[in-house]
Amino acid sequence: MSPLLEVNNLQKHFPVRGGLLNRIVSDFRAVDDVSFALREGKTLGLVGESGSGKTTIGKCILRLLEPTAGQILYDGADITHLKQRDLRRLRGEIQMIYQAPAASLNGRMTVGGIIGEPLWIHEGLKGDVARERVLELMNVVGLKEEHYYRYPHEFSGGQQQRIGIARALAVQPRLIVLDEPTSALDVSVQAQILNLLQDLQDQFDLTYLFISHDLGVVRYMCDEVALLYLGKIVEVAETEVIFEAPKHPYTQALISAIPEPDPDMQREEIILRGELSSSPLMHRGGGCPFAPRCHAEKLATCETVLPSLVEVERQHQVACHLHPPISIAEVH
Amino acid sequence: MADLLNIDNLHLEFHTYDGVVKVLAGVDLKMQRGDVLGLVGETGCGKSMTALSVPRLIPMPPGKITAGRVTFNGEDILSKTESEMEAFRARHVGMIFQDPVTNLNPLFTIREQLVDAVLYQRAQGQKVPGRWRGFLPSVRQMRKDAHDRAVELMRLTGIPDGDKRIYDYPHQFSGGMRQRVLIAMALAGDPDLLIADEPTTALDVTIQAQILRLIRSLVKQLGLTVLLITHNLGVVARSCERVAVMYSGRVIEESPVRELFKNPKHPYTRGLIAAVPQKDISRGGLEGIPGMIPNLIDPPAGCRFHPRCPQVMDICRSAVPPAVSVGADHSAACFLYPEDA
Repeated sequence: MSPLLEVNNLQKHFPVRGGLLNRIVSDFRAVDDVSFALREGKTLGLVGESGSGKTTIGKCILRLLEPTAGQILYDGADITHLKQRDLRRLRGEIQMIYQAPAASLNGRMTVGGIIGEPLWIHEGLKGDVARERVLELMNVVGLKEEHYYRYPHEFSGGQQQRIGIARALAVQPRLIVLDEPTSALDVSVQAQILNLLQDLQDQFDLTYLFISHDLGVVRYMCDEVALLYLGKIVEVAETEVIFEAPKHPYTQALISAIPEPDPDMQREEIILRGELSSSPLMHRGGGCPFAPRCHAEKLATCETVLPSLVEVERQHQVACHLHPPISIAEVH
Repeated sequence: MADLLNIDNLHLEFHTYDGVVKVLAGVDLKMQRGDVLGLVGETGCGKSMTALSVPRLIPMPPGKITAGRVTFNGEDILSKTESEMEAFRARHVGMIFQDPVTNLNPLFTIREQLVDAVLYQRAQGQKVPGRWRGFLPSVRQMRKDAHDRAVELMRLTGIPDGDKRIYDYPHQFSGGMRQRVLIAMALAGDPDLLIADEPTTALDVTIQAQILRLIRSLVKQLGLTVLLITHNLGVVARSCERVAVMYSGRVIEESPVRELFKNPKHPYTRGLIAAVPQKDISRGGLEGIPGMIPNLIDPPAGCRFHPRCPQVMDICRSAVPPAVSVGADHSAACFLYPEDA
């Protein structure tokens, strides 16, 4: 089955200005050669620390940011260079749910207006027909009819996120990019929203690209996980494989750093040296970007050769010199 | 052993245009020297307000303490004058906050800010009568000592090259390093108690692990007492010895860490633990707590958790449950447990 979304060698560079005339002195590679595929009805988790480029990838897929290079295929069609008019049709298929529910809702519009606006833009629905649909959507996400004329500030964070979800569902999308949908919420509310998202996925056969820094949430929500470090994917595999047998030293460290609510849990805690920014930001191919923080034994090539993402086991790709690719003979 | 900190039946209200917000409704909390206590709860449960009322940093008005006592080392804090409080804060309580960006002044170097903290704390420490002032070390000497102390604090909190980086501005530090600077600042006065209010919430997990490890090592090295406020049960499990769970202005359960996770008694604690996505929970298996946190202007009568409680009984709607012992060193405020148990 061909994937619903395929991203090939995506790059997004931002100019860095400086010097006397504020010229472009270099570029910051927020997303650097990222490829992945997402099958219909599945959930792919994009995980990484702040600054790893996860949100930038999400925005490139919706074409809210123009990719510098690379290709994005949606349902087999190249959408990387779609014109403005065709983009509108695309955005009826792909929707996004944002992290800060309060900031992503227009405070001057009523809930009914917010959820109804995409119906008007994409389907030209107005009046009673639109109202009917909006109320249906509100019911689906667990909002009550009397909330129709209220304003976003009258709601709690969890309820606001439900409004955002209803708005995304309004155009009946197939793919939803969820950018940290629960990181602003309390755990008890987070559980409600995660369950709602799963129910909706089953009900409407949705495909999710789930962006998060919370590995616990990712483990619960995703079928597959891709880990990002400084704009590059360092490891991709099925969720169980990532959590049970992580290969890349960064993945191992991240998983050991999840604070599990179990005081008896015995495990080796890997404490990474330094921070994301202690790797040179304008990293230019000179070795593995993770090398300065890496806790594993170092090879000579780590400092000089950029490791590429290779299949080390079936359905398990890692970008690390310590893990050589499986040979073709082994596959057969 | 005498308690280092004893908060007894603390009631705090805020007077607003919408009405009186009953933020704390009878908080009881005790800490011994050397304790590492986690104070857990969701947004708006009063955990920060409880902590802020120890160094009395709650603005009054609009805040008002309507009942209760806070004693620290046997001294009654609520009856101190403001100048006594200044000395108290400088010498006994250090505090770090969630956001390391807004708590450092971007216009001054780390040196200026750290040295200030050290000098202030020393000035509060030594109230020298006028006629002895001539024997004090010169200002230059004091500043030099303070500088050395600042570098020492940076080393203690694990900032590499402290003697050079002390001349940097806050924006030259990363988030984790800024949090270390703030911890250094909080330790300037050799406090007895360190209050850490969501110290790792704004940080990435790998940095969070570094900061938690630092706090644990400071506890060992300096014999600090730590009150760690967090909404993250995982952080508590990793760093604390005891936990107090708060809900809507009260401590509803308190016990050693292991006991709380293995044997939670209060229905809210159970719900909270079940709401965290953990290892062996399969798709659809996560349980949330239905409903929302109560409105504090017009809180539910009786137990404030009763509208969301799966095991609600008639008595819960009318009476406030007292904290009762439900096991060794384990108390819960819930009518499910008989008072003499």
